Amino acid sequence: MAEQDRTEEYRRIYSLNLGPQHPSTHGVLRILLDLDGEYIVKADPIIGYGHRGHEKMGENRQYKQFLPNSSRLDYLSGMIFNHGFVLAVEKLVGIEVPERAQYIRVIASELNRISSHLLWFGTYVMDLGGFTPFLYAFDDREHILDILDSVSGSRLTYSYCRFGGVTRDIDRNFIDMTRAFLKRMESRWADYDDLVTKNIIFIHRTRNVGAINPELARQFGVTGPNLRACGVSFDVRRSEPYEVYDRLDFEVPTGSNGDALDRYYVRFKEMQQSCRIIDQALDLLPGGDFIAKKVPPKLSPPKGEVYAAFESARGLSAFYLVSDGSPGPYRCHIRVPSFGNLNVLNEVLPGTLVADAISILGSIDVVIPEIDR
Amino acid sequence: MKVKELEAIMLEKFPDAPLSRDETGMTGALWSIIVPISGIRDATKAFWSAGFFLESITALDFEDTFELVYHFNCYEPKSRLVVRVLCGHDQVPPSICDIFRGAGWLEREVHDFFGISFSGNTDMRPLLLPEDADYHPLRKTFGKVSAYHKREEIYG
Amino acid sequence: MSEGLFSWEWFRLILGLLIVLGFASLNALFLVWLERKVAGHIQLRPGPMEVGPHGLLQTIMDAVKLMGKELILPAKADRRLFFLAPVVVFMPVLVGFLVLPFGPSIIIRDMNLGVLLVFAFSTFTVLAILAGGWASNNKYALLGAIRSVAQNVAYEIPLLLAVMSVVLMVHSLSFSEIVVSQKRVWFIFVQPLAGLIYLISATAETNRAPFDIPEAESELVAGFHTEYSGMGFGLFFLAEYTNMFIVCAVATSLFFGGWQGPFGYSLGIPGVFWFLFKTYTLVFFIMWVRWTFPRVRFDQLMNFSWKVMIPLSLANLVVTAIVVKFI
Repeated sequence: MAEQDRTEEYRRIYSLNLGPQHPSTHGVLRILLDLDGEYIVKADPIIGYGHRGHEKMGENRQYKQFLPNSSRLDYLSGMIFNHGFVLAVEKLVGIEVPERAQYIRVIASELNRISSHLLWFGTYVMDLGGFTPFLYAFDDREHILDILDSVSGSRLTYSYCRFGGVTRDIDRNFIDMTRAFLKRMESRWADYDDLVTKNIIFIHRTRNVGAINPELARQFGVTGPNLRACGVSFDVRRSEPYEVYDRLDFEVPTGSNGDALDRYYVRFKEMQQSCRIIDQALDLLPGGDFIAKKVPPKLSPPKGEVYAAFESARGLSAFYLVSDGSPGPYRCHIRVPSFGNLNVLNEVLPGTLVADAISILGSIDVVIPEIDR
Repeated sequence: MKVKELEAIMLEKFPDAPLSRDETGMTGALWSIIVPISGIRDATKAFWSAGFFLESITALDFEDTFELVYHFNCYEPKSRLVVRVLCGHDQVPPSICDIFRGAGWLEREVHDFFGISFSGNTDMRPLLLPEDADYHPLRKTFGKVSAYHKREEIYG
Repeated sequence: MSEGLFSWEWFRLILGLLIVLGFASLNALFLVWLERKVAGHIQLRPGPMEVGPHGLLQTIMDAVKLMGKELILPAKADRRLFFLAPVVVFMPVLVGFLVLPFGPSIIIRDMNLGVLLVFAFSTFTVLAILAGGWASNNKYALLGAIRSVAQNVAYEIPLLLAVMSVVLMVHSLSFSEIVVSQKRVWFIFVQPLAGLIYLISATAETNRAPFDIPEAESELVAGFHTEYSGMGFGLFFLAEYTNMFIVCAVATSLFFGGWQGPFGYSLGIPGVFWFLFKTYTLVFFIMWVRWTFPRVRFDQLMNFSWKVMIPLSLANLVVTAIVVKFI
């Protein structure tokens, strides 16, 4: 192309790769940005760097062999995904889960939700330049990891749930540690408020940044705290209650603008609501079995399909299993919330500054391995 | 209520499309309808106007046919609905990415895994597989496969 | 004494330069250690503890390590500029040491244009940053360098205006005279607004958080020094800490009484210790701010300078001028 033929625009716009190795992209994500000075003209997220073939693995394994895989999809909500997979298979085979096991699974899932949000909180503020809350959040998160470690043996990717219940019953130690943790967090919320929520620089970096309106959210299938920040109160725990969520009293926090600050508030309040759920569940915890008796080791489910939706830390997730009667699924599809949440950046990023791109990407809370599977 | 209206609309558009209800809740949906390939766009437009969002698009590989499964949901309790399209191994279904912009990536993923092209979707680059991938891993003719059935063996 | 080649003056000057070089290096090493300790303790961890007692030798070991690393020159980078930039960023900062009033007569060269000298030479860092970012042949580095230039230019103005307010009161640009005229009351109490503006602008001038966009670790990898390895990076790093010391030392001299004790009473402690104590307290304060606040976005940073700092410092200068003229 001769120099005169190049348009003014072509000469002005340059492309910049954000990632795949970058401190702020939370996983192996590459966003191809077309920039005009500091403004983003086009954003194209390129994913697939972490594709491990979980769906193909699902087809070649028995249901019980796929249990460890379920945690590794979204490793930050590993317990919640493990729980969801177990729910799907129980629904398919028709296993009755004892009440105590249901409460235990709910407590573990909510603890996992808090730990995921704490990690998001620490890394988000670190992306914006405030390095210290990261360490405070991880200090709190260590307590959760210790609690879940004591009962399941793992810190991050759990295979604690089994078809019909859980692996091991919780003991006095678990309950005491959890109650101590809840008590500790009561004072920590105020600390985080002072350090971050009321910080004028933080507010300026997040207010009116990356606003998603409900229409856009519906186009892309955005769910979870991102959707709730737009004002739509949609939570799977309320709309399709599973386990014992219909017996527990909790609020679903919503925002109004859909900007990064609202997403921050929604997740912050969600953590507090999760503490409330755990508190109630510990109070209501009945005695009894922690796993259903007489679950055959080799499941032979009926032919058909099952779709089990659950609320992970990032939004509506689901396991879609098609069974042909054999001990393993014919098709195992996982619906992940970060897929739509990241996709929406194609339309939210253009027009913003590069520095805001980091803020928006952080506030959406994507976990790339979940998208890549 | 939205669900009932949609049911009426769908039965009106596709009078002989098989609609199976699910009372047990196992499929997570209230009913699922099989629409012909040509009808998927009309069906999707009806869902968009009714306030639904596209939860997921996936595909199933059977010996005799591909099956595209579209899960729609709306923000009210227990309102998931399923639309299915049976398309042959060589057919090209139309894309719905102009009705639901999020479908662009979902269709790219289905194309990656199954090789189903969607007409009307201008961006069909591989999403999860490398750019030069020319294989389709989730087909039952690729790699290690434990079973390959015809559709009626599972759904009857 | 004659002014010949081996006169007393020359000897004094060379001795002073050697002391400056030694002190600057030691100071930079100490500040790096202090930063890591401060960061650690704010983040509920102890910081370096292994090498030497409480990690005191850590910085020396890090410097030795950096000197041993390969100097990588990126492909198609401008070779001369690439290797010149770290040198240019470090050398002029050392000139600032010549005029700092460490004690009542401990000043290497008491120039009557001391204030002007310090600020004139500290501006070289901007040139060096731009050269380094440009020569790296890397978009991230260039973006960082461009931002740095804009930021430095914007914050240079309120910095100088704040300093001018003090100079206007004292009628002199010489450091020792400014320090001596604070015998009764420190200028921070007379010119609080100028002091605050100076401290904020100084933080921005030295590219410290919350104004560290040019080297933002999580936004542009490492900004203008992305492509530097080994001692090139080490020099940028040391220059930043030395610069921080200089601006704090200037703040001490201009606003906090320099080497004098409170109200002129030295309490038997030599002036040098007062000076160093006050300077390092200010340095600690700047470090504290870094680990507490998130980063300001770039356009907000520029807005803050042009729309808030400059009008305020101008108004301060005008009020000072009026007060000095009529009172």
